[in-house]
Amino acid sequence: MTTRLWIVGIAFLVGVYLSWTAGRLDRLHARVDASSAALDAQLVRRAAAARAVAAHLDDPQSGHALDEAATAALEGTADRREMLENDLSRALKAALPVLVHDAAGESALAELETASTRVGLARSFHNAAVKDTRAIRFRRIPRALRLAGRREMPQFFEIDDTAV
Amino acid sequence: MRIGIACPYTWDVPGGVQAHVRDLADSLLALGHEVSVLSPVDEPDRADLPSYVVPAGRAVPVPYNGSVARLVFGPLSLARTRRWLREGGFDVLHVHEPTVPSVSMMACFAASGPIVATFHTATARSRALQVFGTALQPALEKVIGRIAVSPAARRVVVEHLGGDAVLIPNGVDVARFTGAQPLPGRDDRPTVVFLGRIDEQRKGLAVLLEALPELVSLVPDVRLLVAGPGDVDEVREAVPPSLRARVELLGLVSEQDKPRVFASGDVYCAPNTHGESFGIVLVEAMATGTPVVASDLEAFRRVLEDGRAGVLVPVRDPGALAAGLGALLQDPERRARLAQAGRAAVRTYDWSTVTRQVVEVYETVAVAAPVAVDASLEAALPEGDEDVDDAGRLMTTLRRWTTERVRR
Repeated sequence: MTTRLWIVGIAFLVGVYLSWTAGRLDRLHARVDASSAALDAQLVRRAAAARAVAAHLDDPQSGHALDEAATAALEGTADRREMLENDLSRALKAALPVLVHDAAGESALAELETASTRVGLARSFHNAAVKDTRAIRFRRIPRALRLAGRREMPQFFEIDDTAV
Repeated sequence: MRIGIACPYTWDVPGGVQAHVRDLADSLLALGHEVSVLSPVDEPDRADLPSYVVPAGRAVPVPYNGSVARLVFGPLSLARTRRWLREGGFDVLHVHEPTVPSVSMMACFAASGPIVATFHTATARSRALQVFGTALQPALEKVIGRIAVSPAARRVVVEHLGGDAVLIPNGVDVARFTGAQPLPGRDDRPTVVFLGRIDEQRKGLAVLLEALPELVSLVPDVRLLVAGPGDVDEVREAVPPSLRARVELLGLVSEQDKPRVFASGDVYCAPNTHGESFGIVLVEAMATGTPVVASDLEAFRRVLEDGRAGVLVPVRDPGALAAGLGALLQDPERRARLAQAGRAAVRTYDWSTVTRQVVEVYETVAVAAPVAVDASLEAALPEGDEDVDDAGRLMTTLRRWTTERVRR
């Protein structure tokens, strides 16, 4: 009788642990989805701002290079995203600091600055979410029992975003 | 934006976190945001309680981290937290110090959606984190955006929780300090100001007093103005009798008088020996327009921009301190230049700048659905009674228990 009680008790605790961990993973994946969407939005915003600034550069050659990098970043596919965004950071570093002569150029530059700060924030938040999720997914039990289901392993997003 | 802020410490007890939350809420309101602050309050009927504060109940004093923390924890406070979240309909939930067992932690447990957390503590020995680290992890995992107020606080976050935090410094109300008038009865003799606890060794008053004889030989008519709580007589004893007339001890000064104390000096001296995580007092002196001579500590070097906005001297070196102070007191042009550089440097720390950075964090995390009550907690708990809180219920239970024992 006592043995049976023990077995039921332990099975109950194991069940609670598993459903709790699965719930935790659910929440973490939702957080990664949200942070990834936020990062995507801020990257698009930065590329658009970079194109606007490119139109105001005095030197047509560096303006052209920046515009090209920004367009590539906007149109790139997901698997090359990290590389293209990094290229854009590099192009920004090469082109800046610049002098702009009119109010339109100034507001484009301000928008680029805001967008770049946001990229930094969104990237830091995204990578933190990815780190928390991976920490649990790489544990032995969640991995063996596939508690994360078919969801892809979230990936870090590493670029140099210190340009502006 | 609709912003819900959770403050873990009792609103009517003075403290750094409470002051931070109050100033942040005020500047968010000034920017046109809607703000509601959930905080423990001892006297909810006080007239000076801001209308945006929602009381979470009275706090229970608990010995914690070497001092007494006044905390709120229990099923009724949790029910109140839940109701606050549901009725608030916030776009962002901003919790302060979520590792302290109080309303911030409960809000973390009870909410889902865009959550931002600010970490204030710079001491690495948080008992809650050491003991309950693993149990707290699921609640802290919900936090999307982490903010640390100093590099030291950020290190605590990285070490204990993993992951990173965005550095946004504490704010200072720069306008309150600019243009302050000196205290009455000042003359034009060169004056060095010290402000800080006079009996706390790490504030370094002893180093300054040790430097005084040499400073007098450099600047014969120099005076020292010392403000801050502590045993004034003990400090007077430590000064050589021949120099006592030059040292004026003000004792504790009020917040209102602080700008005037800075304005009464030609130089502000921060001879701290160690353990400073931010250096807000330097920012205040610079906002007043008083040039700073400070120990070369990591936090001070940041505020003084590696010496461009103030003078850095070697730590615990009375000779170097006297030389640094003497040189600056004899060079009015350099003082004016440093005062100007200081005023420019403190703009980074003004609440308007700091609040803008915090709003940037809000906007980065609040891209998806607004804050909601976590579904797993929605059904499990009873609703809170309007007139009772956990502290009250605990007291009633204790009282009933003791009377019954007496009767027996």
